[in-house]
Amino acid sequence: MYWLPRDQVRALVNRLAESYAVYGPRRDEVSGEVVFDRLEELERLDLQAAIPYNPPKHALLPQYEEILKYLYSKQSQKVTIEKISKVEPKALVGLRACDLNGILCLDRFFLGQEFVDEIYLEHRKKLFIISNTCVRPFPQCFCVCTDSGPAAGEGFDLDLTCAGQGYLVLVGSKKGQRLVEELGLREAGSEAQNLREKIVAESVSSFDNFALENKAWVSRATNRLTTGFIKPEVWEYIGNQCFECGACSFVCPTCSCFNVEDVNRVDGPTDRVRTWDSCSFEGYTKMAGDHNPRKPVEDRRNKRFFCKLSYSQSKKYLRPGCVGCGRCARVCPGDIGLPNVVTYIRREITGE
Amino acid sequence: MSYYRGICNFCGTGCGHLLQVEGNRVRGVYPLPGHPLSRGRLCVRGWHIHELLQTEERITSPLIREGNSFRPVSFDEAVDFTASRLKTFSGREVAFLGSPRASNEENYLFGKFARAVMKSNNLSLTSDAGLEESSRVLLEGCGLPAMTGSLSALRQADFILVVGGDLTKQNPIIASEIHFARRSGTFVATISPRKTQMARLSQKHLRPNPGTIWLLLEALARALRTEGLVRGDDLEERVENARQYLEYLDSLDLKQASESTGVEEQEIISLARKFYESESAFAFYPVGIQSLDRRSMSALLNLFLLAGKLDRPAGGMCPVTGISNLLGSLDMGVSPAFLPGYFPVEAEESWRRFEELWQVGLNRTPGKSAAACLQEDRSIKALLVVDHDEEIIRHVNRIKELEFVVYFGAYQNAFASLATVIFPRLNYVEGDGTYTNSERRVQLSQKKVEPPAGIKPMWEILSRLASALGQPWPYKSAEEIMTEISRVVPQYSGLSHEKLRASLGLRWPVDDRHPGGTEFPLAEETGRGFKFVFDGAADRRQSLRSGKEGVFPFKLVVGRSNYFWHQNSVMKRTFIPRREYNALLLLYPNGFVEVSEEDARALGLREKQPVRIVSEAAEIRLATRISPDILPGMLYIPYFIEEMISGFLHRQVSELEKNEEFFLPVRLEKVE
Ligand code: SF4
Ligand code: SF4
Ligand code: SF4
Ligand code: SF4
Repeated sequence: MYWLPRDQVRALVNRLAESYAVYGPRRDEVSGEVVFDRLEELERLDLQAAIPYNPPKHALLPQYEEILKYLYSKQSQKVTIEKISKVEPKALVGLRACDLNGILCLDRFFLGQEFVDEIYLEHRKKLFIISNTCVRPFPQCFCVCTDSGPAAGEGFDLDLTCAGQGYLVLVGSKKGQRLVEELGLREAGSEAQNLREKIVAESVSSFDNFALENKAWVSRATNRLTTGFIKPEVWEYIGNQCFECGACSFVCPTCSCFNVEDVNRVDGPTDRVRTWDSCSFEGYTKMAGDHNPRKPVEDRRNKRFFCKLSYSQSKKYLRPGCVGCGRCARVCPGDIGLPNVVTYIRREITGE
Repeated sequence: MSYYRGICNFCGTGCGHLLQVEGNRVRGVYPLPGHPLSRGRLCVRGWHIHELLQTEERITSPLIREGNSFRPVSFDEAVDFTASRLKTFSGREVAFLGSPRASNEENYLFGKFARAVMKSNNLSLTSDAGLEESSRVLLEGCGLPAMTGSLSALRQADFILVVGGDLTKQNPIIASEIHFARRSGTFVATISPRKTQMARLSQKHLRPNPGTIWLLLEALARALRTEGLVRGDDLEERVENARQYLEYLDSLDLKQASESTGVEEQEIISLARKFYESESAFAFYPVGIQSLDRRSMSALLNLFLLAGKLDRPAGGMCPVTGISNLLGSLDMGVSPAFLPGYFPVEAEESWRRFEELWQVGLNRTPGKSAAACLQEDRSIKALLVVDHDEEIIRHVNRIKELEFVVYFGAYQNAFASLATVIFPRLNYVEGDGTYTNSERRVQLSQKKVEPPAGIKPMWEILSRLASALGQPWPYKSAEEIMTEISRVVPQYSGLSHEKLRASLGLRWPVDDRHPGGTEFPLAEETGRGFKFVFDGAADRRQSLRSGKEGVFPFKLVVGRSNYFWHQNSVMKRTFIPRREYNALLLLYPNGFVEVSEEDARALGLREKQPVRIVSEAAEIRLATRISPDILPGMLYIPYFIEEMISGFLHRQVSELEKNEEFFLPVRLEKVE
């Protein structure tokens, strides 16, 4: 483990900026909220800031991304296809553990199955990841219930844990090791490992006092979901409150639904575009039947929570599909973010 | 930095968002958590605004018609040509149609151009009917032409009454606020014939027969009397014309009203009690896309006045605007009824005031709405339209006859093809502008991307035209126009772009006394004159029957779905909302009509069975969709099938757009 004095954080970031576009949390001046953003002004990076409202997903899976261009030529009767690759190397600085785990889930979806998604892979290969331990959780957090925080275990190049006047630095890759050496960071000493563990343990025990918005007894819900012992009325109760906005998928660090569209031009090439999508939409899984016009909403809700929590899905991700970031609870117009749904499932609430 | 603070420009909720801008293109959108109203939420439309903002189907150059096609011309040529043609018309020969999606600055200047330069008072918005009516009713009844309540206080309310429409579809994030209020203990009641999602999210749903919402509201008021909750002598102190109103109200027979509305008397009484006993109560009703009619709006206002709910904070009347800047556009006087700041056109002082402020003589004869001009007025020869294509459905033939049509628009659409001259407009992220949401919140949307080369801001186009027509206008930016607005519109007197840049919107009135805006304008004013709004004729309650029930036994009502919104001119340029619209079309390629389970059983209708809906004027073939959401005797068609609008509903469209209470008497025939 190494030691990064606070006043050297700038040096680290400047060094990264030479080879990467630097992304990290910053605060919006007027609303005061934290956004995970591309930072041209590196001094905007705020490692003390709360968990950003948006996950880092957009750096790997942009909300709107041209993936290829094709042109049909009438004369030659041929189609020319051109890959549009604008993937630049990015350094994600100050990722919270939940969000890092979110990226690991995306990896398993896009890279870990029969088909490897080349575009995602290209983004992914060019990432430099620095995670940041939460020395204290935020109101919306429940990563302790989903085994994804408050400190990172794997997947980072470097990992920071704030301890007094600087950061304990864990190295997770060769890239990370090189950077540490270039910066000439000193070893943190023999007590460092214990100190980190102590900080993490204190953070975990402070969830009861600080992480007050959401409680999610995920394992119980996983059990119920997997065994299918959930009354249809519970789903109906949940489905009635869904506004079908898609937000829960868009803000989820592990949601990978996407849509592919062609943007045609009258006389010019066609762009093939990939955009975020959500299983909460009717058109995402075109339904058959359509007998009871209300039913499908519940089914679609059902699908999302199945994806986040069921055991079979967890096997695919090698962990629960929810990393406990609490974002879906904040953006949901229907107040049926995952923690609430877990509560409804647990208590089989169908009314108030 | 790639995420920039902004506001959603679709509906009148005015949610805060972050637009992701990279390489001069809007690449994404994300909700803004700190926004005082939307608090980090967006609806499906708002989540896809970046798709609309990327479209390449832009108008990028001024165009002049030549025969059946258009010739791209320079900005100067377009201005000179337009000015030379406009010179040949008198004020009363020209009509102006402003856009409720355009900014306050644009609308103000557009109105000033009409009135001060062209001396025309034929000036209106498209979807104004309901809002203007609501503003008149509220002005008359409590002296404030817009929302008397505040959305940020909703969660503290005791009682919320939602009347008509489906807020979960029209203004989803306001509906969400109501949902959160309910979850924190507020009692929410909905009045609507259909079992909408809003109704499902309410503790109480009263379902009056189509066309009787107003009567149910009067019945609720009447119940306050029969239950002995409101005494006459108290009331006379609070409300000006109490005696006349009570006379009118007390002539209502609760039993009869219960019969006509189809709502149990006991239900009426218990809701009235619940309402009366609440500390603070809000009423929500839609205006702009599908509005309540005047009668229902007044009945609702009277109910609140009667129960004494308007003069205390944490409550009030809340008209909810369906389009982003609908309220602001009316604030700016884009209306045949009001000059900017709600100065009524009937009053001579209004005109004097503006002649002085604008330093120019005005035509004091009030004008008409653009729609009325096209419909009734053969003397109209020219039309100027901003970003719009809905009116086309009704008046396409009349517009084709006009001598001169100017269109200011960002996107290509059906209307543009009717124009003589087309000026490209900036889209809303290409320039600065303010937008006023349903709760009077004026928000600044700042420029985020450079416009395509050659597109000029509206203020520049209008200034050049005004100069060419002999009135040199000095404007150099949208900011300067706001400075002028703050001098002209009393409610905006304390506003400036500078002040708005540092805020997340301020609610008017913003003035010397309220530099930070006003949450509850009525609560602070003591001795404000309240007045019941009613036409005094009790006999109009009598004939609720058309006499044609035998031939046309069903009441057909029309509604709007989430994804189909404004004839889809906006939504069709997105991916996901468009797909969702298509998903419904795939299942019902020719549209559907919803029939209640009871009627379907009685008529032996199957799901998807083709039926013919016949009205006095026309007929249409649709597929059956059996629905638990509608009442027996009622039919429902979502308003999304092109053919239905242009063919079947053609004649009724204007009624439909104005009036939530509108229904069409029809019969249903099976097609075997
Ligand atoms: S959920 Fe856990 S890892 Fe994520 S921000 Fe909160 S405490 Fe940190
Ligand atoms: S389901 Fe909700 S809480 Fe869980 S990871 Fe996704 S957004 Fe976060
Ligand atoms: S965020 Fe909530 S309302 Fe929106 S789709 Fe998800 S569950 Fe439904
Ligand atoms: S509710 Fe209206 S303003 Fe808010 S996101 Fe939806 S369309 Fe935009």
